[in-house]
Amino acid sequence: MGEHETSGIFESMVEKLPGNFDIYFWNFVILMIFTVFEVGAVFFETVPGTDIEITLSVVWAILIGVGIVKGYGIAAYFMHLKGDPRVYTRTALFPVLFVLLMLWGIGLSNPGAVTELPSWCTPNWDYASQR
Amino acid sequence: MSGGEAHVENSIWMRAVLFGGVFVAIGLLAFATMGVGVANVKHVAYEDAMHEYEEAKYDYENAKANNATDAEIASLKTAKDEAHHHEIDAHLSYLTWRTAGITILLMCFTYASFIGLGGFLNSVFPDDHGHADHGYGGDDHEHHGSGSPIVFSLGIMLFLMGFPSFQATLGNMLSGVDANLGDLGVSMLGLLFVTAGVANWWREDLPFIGNHEQIATETDAWFAGEHIRKAGLWVFIMSEVMVFATFFSSYLRMRTEWCTQWQVNAGNENCAAVDTLTASDFLRPNGGMLDGLGGQGDFMTLLPGAINTFALIISSYTIVLALKTAKSKDWVAPTGLMGKLMPTKKAAVRNYLIATFLLGSMFIVLKLVEWSHLVAEGFTIGAAGTTGQAASIFYVATGAHGLHVFIGLLVMLYLIFKADTVGYDEKNGQGIEYFGLYWHFVDLAWVVIFPAFYLY
Repeated sequence: MGEHETSGIFESMVEKLPGNFDIYFWNFVILMIFTVFEVGAVFFETVPGTDIEITLSVVWAILIGVGIVKGYGIAAYFMHLKGDPRVYTRTALFPVLFVLLMLWGIGLSNPGAVTELPSWCTPNWDYASQR
Repeated sequence: MSGGEAHVENSIWMRAVLFGGVFVAIGLLAFATMGVGVANVKHVAYEDAMHEYEEAKYDYENAKANNATDAEIASLKTAKDEAHHHEIDAHLSYLTWRTAGITILLMCFTYASFIGLGGFLNSVFPDDHGHADHGYGGDDHEHHGSGSPIVFSLGIMLFLMGFPSFQATLGNMLSGVDANLGDLGVSMLGLLFVTAGVANWWREDLPFIGNHEQIATETDAWFAGEHIRKAGLWVFIMSEVMVFATFFSSYLRMRTEWCTQWQVNAGNENCAAVDTLTASDFLRPNGGMLDGLGGQGDFMTLLPGAINTFALIISSYTIVLALKTAKSKDWVAPTGLMGKLMPTKKAAVRNYLIATFLLGSMFIVLKLVEWSHLVAEGFTIGAAGTTGQAASIFYVATGAHGLHVFIGLLVMLYLIFKADTVGYDEKNGQGIEYFGLYWHFVDLAWVVIFPAFYLY
């Protein structure tokens, strides 16, 4: 949300699209389409009109992928991080450090952490297995 | 906040009181039609369905006891199951209307008291206090900041300090148990401070015409040259990200130990059978089942959450349109129906804000309708085993999000009031911009909450 002009691939594409609609409108349209996609992935067991099964892994990938696209669309265009000074993006991303730490904690405190997590993201668990 | 100021007559605040009256009327009307009228009709249908189910159940048990033929028993069992589904549908339909009516009533009363009381307090000020230089800015003075947020924060602190006895006393009063009204004191004092802080904040902001917005001037500071209010808002959003991150990390941590339908379907060797139901098991199709609960999700159960997702995205767009219109220097009225809805720039900004407000209000109503259905279907914090944990984190996370939406709606009431009276333009539109950042954040949080809690 700001007055600055932005430039990038998405903006260039928007300029070539028919009609007198701005980047906010097209961002809104994309967010709506991706939401339909997201709900549809959970709702249908097969791709409509085909026998192609929508597996659990595909649903996972769609939910995460769509979430990233939608999050980017809202933060970059609606919240205007793309046109604002970088300090705002840095401020917005600062808590991600803590989020990653929390995710790491979730992994470490998981019952399967001793045996299932790769060694590079765990402390030395040897003492636990040798006790 | 104020900087350069326009002259605003104090009588203008009476319009806020009028807004409050309109909200009371809307709330009562909605409650009378939806919460009482339609809900009572639905309740009669629910009672009929209950009787039909009881009869079908009796016939089935009777047939079994009297050694009826297998075909007869099977037929009666089918009839019993159908009657049961019919009863559940009738119950949920009743809950939908009843909850919607009560929610709209309570929301409208909160809107009315918030905007009405704030307007009334400001309208009783002598007029000459409204536009003179009162220490926080003036046409020719630099911005001196405002004490209102401190008063507001003090009020919140007092309210929360007294909240345990506040809610216990209110609970006793509602259930007819003897209650000591003095136990409401600390929280009521807090609400008084909140009201005074908010009313004074509005009073300072209303005449603001965009001059002398505070700028961070320290050259080596991170936000040098940026508007201080905007920087502050981003720091606030940063803290909000942390709040929601704690909910997600709690949820993910617990979920790694639950044997949900997802885990079973994924072939997790530690999960031979489902031991936990999540909200998505009640909402999405093909959800898990446990002890006769869950697994009934279909298009209709997923619909409120899906509608809410679309509502938040649309509301994010309408707030962008409000800002874009306010900041536009060469705004031209649209033609056709939109031209009738947005005849002037001032009306366009106000109507875009009203659209955002209505979408946000719909979000809250649908959210509580959905909650009422989930509770009726047994997804409660008292549910057996780890399903209770799943319900707890679901209601806390989605409730915290809903609270953020509702607080946003209260702020939006003031924005609509200002848009309707003083108006927003290219100079003072930053009020909408800063609120928009908060509103987009609420949308952003939902982008994660919806798939994590409703679909996964």
